[in-house]
Amino acid sequence: MLIKIPSVANLGLQTIKVDIEINLANKGLPGFEIVGLPDKAVDESKERVRTAIATSGIDFPAKKITVNMAPADVPKEGSIYDLPIAVGILSSVLEFPVPQKSLFLGELSFDGSLRHTKGAFLMALFAKEFGFINLFVPKDSANEAAAIKGVKVFPVENLTQICRHLLKQEEIFPVVYKQVAENIPAPVEFDMKEVLGQEQAKRAMEIAAAGGHNIIMIGSPGSGKTMLARALPGILPPLNEAESLEVTKIYSASGGIPPGGSLILNRQFRAPHHTASLAGLVGGGSKPQPGEISLAHRGILFLDEFNEFPRSIMEALRQPLEDGYLTISRSKQRVVYPADFMLVASANPCPCGYAMHPKKNCTCNPNQISKYQKRISGPILDRIDLHISVMPVDAGEFSDNQKNSDFLESSEKIKQRVVFARKKQEVRFSNQGEKKVIHCNSQMKNADIKKYCKLLKDVEEILRQASLKFQLSARSYMKMIKVARTIADLDNAEEITVSHMAEALQYKPKYHELS
Amino acid sequence: MEINCVEVESKKYPKALKESFKKLVSSLGPKKLYYKGNWDEKIFQNCLAVVGSRHLTYYGKKATEQLVTEVAAAGITIVSGFMYGGDEAAHSAAVKCGGKTIAVMPCGIDLIHPANQKELYQKILDTGGLIISEYEGDAQPQTFTYIQRDRIVAGLPKAVFVTEAALNSGSLISASYAKKMGKKIFALPGPITSEVSKGSLKLIKEGAEVVTEAKDILKYFDILPSAKKAGKNFVTGDSLENKIIEQLKREPLKADELARLFVIPVAQLGTALSLMQLKGFISQDSGKYYIN
Repeated sequence: MLIKIPSVANLGLQTIKVDIEINLANKGLPGFEIVGLPDKAVDESKERVRTAIATSGIDFPAKKITVNMAPADVPKEGSIYDLPIAVGILSSVLEFPVPQKSLFLGELSFDGSLRHTKGAFLMALFAKEFGFINLFVPKDSANEAAAIKGVKVFPVENLTQICRHLLKQEEIFPVVYKQVAENIPAPVEFDMKEVLGQEQAKRAMEIAAAGGHNIIMIGSPGSGKTMLARALPGILPPLNEAESLEVTKIYSASGGIPPGGSLILNRQFRAPHHTASLAGLVGGGSKPQPGEISLAHRGILFLDEFNEFPRSIMEALRQPLEDGYLTISRSKQRVVYPADFMLVASANPCPCGYAMHPKKNCTCNPNQISKYQKRISGPILDRIDLHISVMPVDAGEFSDNQKNSDFLESSEKIKQRVVFARKKQEVRFSNQGEKKVIHCNSQMKNADIKKYCKLLKDVEEILRQASLKFQLSARSYMKMIKVARTIADLDNAEEITVSHMAEALQYKPKYHELS
Repeated sequence: MEINCVEVESKKYPKALKESFKKLVSSLGPKKLYYKGNWDEKIFQNCLAVVGSRHLTYYGKKATEQLVTEVAAAGITIVSGFMYGGDEAAHSAAVKCGGKTIAVMPCGIDLIHPANQKELYQKILDTGGLIISEYEGDAQPQTFTYIQRDRIVAGLPKAVFVTEAALNSGSLISASYAKKMGKKIFALPGPITSEVSKGSLKLIKEGAEVVTEAKDILKYFDILPSAKKAGKNFVTGDSLENKIIEQLKREPLKADELARLFVIPVAQLGTALSLMQLKGFISQDSGKYYIN
């Protein structure tokens, strides 16, 4: 008896249809075989399926069972095929028809229950696109799949339940999507009003958030760089619908959505340590997995102690910083992961860290400092729009009035201005046509800057003077215009004025001179 | 390559140096002096050693520049040790105003140390200055050669000017050599809270002469100062700019501190600071703003 059940395989974020053909032959010795490039996890599903069926109180058929997964040349991975294989076998034993236009996904436990399985969201997207109506997924993964409207998602608790449903003895009701707040909690550790002083750094953070600009903070240990970075998610605008789908896709593919989770609505904050491997950071492995930069898609990638990162990792960031995606090429497959993130880096000014400290003495010589600073290459610094120095703050400097939280602006208030500036940018970049690649000011290329940021004569004159005086490189020149555009957006101004440009110059490169 | 060397028996050997070491019991003068540049005895006539910390503060740098420029422009040769920081500031100020300067190296004559000051090295030679060392070839500097070098720095000039020096610093070693050689010591006063002013303040306490203007040094050399430099006057019609200038004249401040002081948004302040930088009123160094 031949049974066909459709399922899917995920290659990176791309989903393809996989037909699972199960043959139960009466001739031959009883056995269980899976063919069609299964990986170890798929191959082991034999044991899970066999045991789960047995513990559900159903006799496992003593026949020669062969499972074929087509197309045969695409590698199949993971534990998602347990449920389709089990349903196929059971449809033969219990004699129920396999429902039409249905997809199955889920990992079985020995007791017959289904576990939370990654990729349910991707399968739901696929189902909607290719006209599948019913999705049978583990109960814990049902909510994320239900985020896609137009498909029926059946939450399955165990094998017995799905059999009773398919035998029309007891119905399973499709799940109703519910946005859960505690999905992946907004990683806001600090409110901006908790950061004393650092007015200029906070302002730079606001500009960075408003225009999606990359930012680097240079300062002594203990000056508050990390605190500022960790307060940044609190002033970022929420993801819009399209962005939310993109981010949820990546998290679903990498198994980052918790049981019962839903769409990801807030921008993610990823802070990998500088000992992270290249594959862990940019993605990779023999079966290419998304790296930290992809998990930070449309969010923040915070690299603390930037100079401590190996050169190879820093240079690997160059392409995604430019293009917003990363292609991972392996001999067997080629995978594209989106990686459009905002880079927030922090660095010490010198090896001992106290070169800019008002009280402590730096013990480094110029040679050491120059070597240390050169660990961050020019091309990387060139891709960072905002450069700020962060000086340590003496809490004693502040009067009680200034320490009073009413006096300091809260993240919520700053966020309102950021959201407003982003809306202005949306309007500006709304007429790009089909290929919408620019979402915020930071993504403008030189041609776009010429198109969207026409400079008045006096503004251009100021910038020209500044580039002579501060020896700005051609790239820095363009960056200043982008930053000034964002400042003008925050100011609700249509034209960039002299004061916008002058403020932008405050955030010019400071680390080692680029020219 | 031709080796330029002056021996202690030679007539060319600086008399001042020979005299200095006669008064010193603890150590002997260099037997040989290797040199680069044009050996002209006139250069040794009116010498002032300027020594200072490797980690100069912005104040120390500014004061060195200002004072050395005037002193060197009046025709006094500036002697120093070619280290980064205080020495470098003194050499480059002298070179810039067209004065003469002598760099005493702690390493072999063929070596440039620190290597990143190659440009300054060349400029010293180009402006008729001298590079001298008692070590030949490309001998690497050692801890003791720095101290040996200090005794030559103290021995060549008539007086030693200590800009910024921490306690237990090389600059104080130069000063103590100079004192034993019976030379005049000048010191730059600095804030009592600054680590790198504690040494120079200690010298002042022990009787060194306080330098607040170039005249203090020039008087000792019996030289009249060149035309007096007029103090800069910044003309601006902007009231915020005026307020900032007034404040920065008192002490250098961070942008954040200025914003808090005037209770204005940092965005507005940043605009003003950038424009003032472009006009050349102020400059920025490691996070703080200074009046030019």
